[in-house]
Amino acid sequence: MDNLSLVKRSLRRHLWLIFILENIIFGFSLYISINFLKFKIYIDFCISSLIAIFFIALIVIISTNYIIQPLKALWQSILHLSPNGNQPIKAPDLKSLSLGQELVTNLVGQLYEIARVGHESALKDRSINSLNSNFIANSMPLPLFILDNSENIKFVNKSAADYIGINTKDLIDKNFYSLLDMSFPSEDTLDKWLTNVKQKTATASKSWERVRLDVGDSHPTLLFDLAAYYNQGNIEGNTTMVIFFDHTKQYSQDDQAISFIALSVHELRTPLTLLRGYIEVFEEELKGKTTPEIEDYINKMHASSEQLTAFVNNILNVARVDNDQLELKLQSEDWSDILTKSVDNIRLRAIVRSINLELNIDLNLPKVAADRLSIQEVINNLVDNAIKYSNDSKVIKINSRVNSEGLVETDIQDFGVGISSSIMPNLFTKFYRDHRNRSQIGGTGLGLYLSKAIVTAHGGNLWVRSEEGKGSTFSFTLIPYDQLSKNLKEKDDKFIRSAHGWIKNHSYYRR
Amino acid sequence: MNLEPQIIEVNKKRKILCIEDEHFIGELYTRALSKAGYDIKVIADGVEALKEAQTDQYDIILLDLMIPNLTGIEVLRILRDPNKTPKLKAKIIITTNLEQREDVKADIEKQADAYVVKAELTPNELVEFLDNIK
Repeated sequence: MDNLSLVKRSLRRHLWLIFILENIIFGFSLYISINFLKFKIYIDFCISSLIAIFFIALIVIISTNYIIQPLKALWQSILHLSPNGNQPIKAPDLKSLSLGQELVTNLVGQLYEIARVGHESALKDRSINSLNSNFIANSMPLPLFILDNSENIKFVNKSAADYIGINTKDLIDKNFYSLLDMSFPSEDTLDKWLTNVKQKTATASKSWERVRLDVGDSHPTLLFDLAAYYNQGNIEGNTTMVIFFDHTKQYSQDDQAISFIALSVHELRTPLTLLRGYIEVFEEELKGKTTPEIEDYINKMHASSEQLTAFVNNILNVARVDNDQLELKLQSEDWSDILTKSVDNIRLRAIVRSINLELNIDLNLPKVAADRLSIQEVINNLVDNAIKYSNDSKVIKINSRVNSEGLVETDIQDFGVGISSSIMPNLFTKFYRDHRNRSQIGGTGLGLYLSKAIVTAHGGNLWVRSEEGKGSTFSFTLIPYDQLSKNLKEKDDKFIRSAHGWIKNHSYYRR
Repeated sequence: MNLEPQIIEVNKKRKILCIEDEHFIGELYTRALSKAGYDIKVIADGVEALKEAQTDQYDIILLDLMIPNLTGIEVLRILRDPNKTPKLKAKIIITTNLEQREDVKADIEKQADAYVVKAELTPNELVEFLDNIK
């Protein structure tokens, strides 16, 4: 039963009530007047009043039908236009109207017109087809992508196709992740965010800075900010909109700065090779044949040349990390041997500052999967930092052991200035330096960034605990070689990894 | 102060051809390697070095990539081309301080026996490295 019949029925019921009440009052007053006047025409009155009741009822029924009919037609047209899940509702029959046919026809006509316009504009808003012919979407200078729930591209505007240098038709219906090799500066990637919001919310939006996109060998890497908007309720299932804000020029200046420094630093390598070589000659030739004072000078020369070499290597490796060119060959290595040798190399640098390096390595460490040169650089950077930030404390503790997860963990602990909690989040960011120490302590702000990239490429983790004024402990883990090789099918002697400071958006992408 | 190389006689000296145009580095390596018992000859010119290498009297060739007249990579390609050079007994070790282009890198990986970055090794470390090349 439709709503209209309900209205009609209740209207009729009320009319009946009024009618009956009216007649009761009428009959009652009649009865009193008859009694009072003692007229004996009771029966005549009853008959005539019954006839009156009948006629009134007839009029009421007919009139309500007449009055209700046009209303019903309007009501039915509204129901006809409204989305109705249960059953289709017929269009009203306007020809059968006997009252106000012209007016109702007019009104219903207007209703249908309003509905048609509304429907069309709604379609225009939602439909991808009309987006394709949408002037604003297409001529917007910002690259725009619309993705469906499985991250397939449903719409791209012209700027987007131009920006990544792929034809629109080659983009449509392709998977956004597998097509675009995006990297993010942190582990908070688009993929991660989207997976998360899909589970938890209906709508969400987010933006990222310094996202990187490699679009092929002939193109330079694109750098941009990214904004994404997710709306679960989209009728056509196009849930995600992604917009790029290009900053390639601005962001690549940092990279260019590094490339330029790397280029200049190359020129230092030949003279450095010579300096280190001849310092070694001096040490050999003069050992025991000269004064302790001269020996001390030679030590200082040696320490400084090593420090310069480490600096040069850092710069070059950061350039390689940023260009995704740092390749690590993970081999089975004796960690105790690497750690001892590396610490011995830096020991001279500590000694000239009267700092004692206390090395404590657990016996029977398993062989680790490591790239010797790179991991030496990590030790070098961490111990060098500990020396630089030691202040007046004279001890640095270096411990290595197998931790509870079965990984080889190495701690480098100093008792110096420590790190304030406010700068902790930025500690591993490229070029970041603690402003308090910038003027007193030298550095490039690259050491921790590089160390993190190298340790991560080893499959390990690097972290820090620190208390201001009490010192810092930097720790990193390496994976035992057996554990790493167990997870791989082929028994190869070495594994090649590349180190980069960027996190891939999605593992779909394979180089 | 005696900085002259002290040559230690060994029964069978391994012969090294050091192709290196940086005079000071050639000198430094000569000292360290002769002291360690190697017979070392340094040549700075690419064309000349190629001729010398083709005489096949060396056990190890240290080949710098930045040398005049013929680049190191060209020398490597000719030495490893069977149409131009009969098979050499020498191990070829590339020595450089520069980043390589991809194609050069690929050739080095295929054709050279080892690759060292000069700045990463002190002369003594180089000796240790060569001692392990068999």
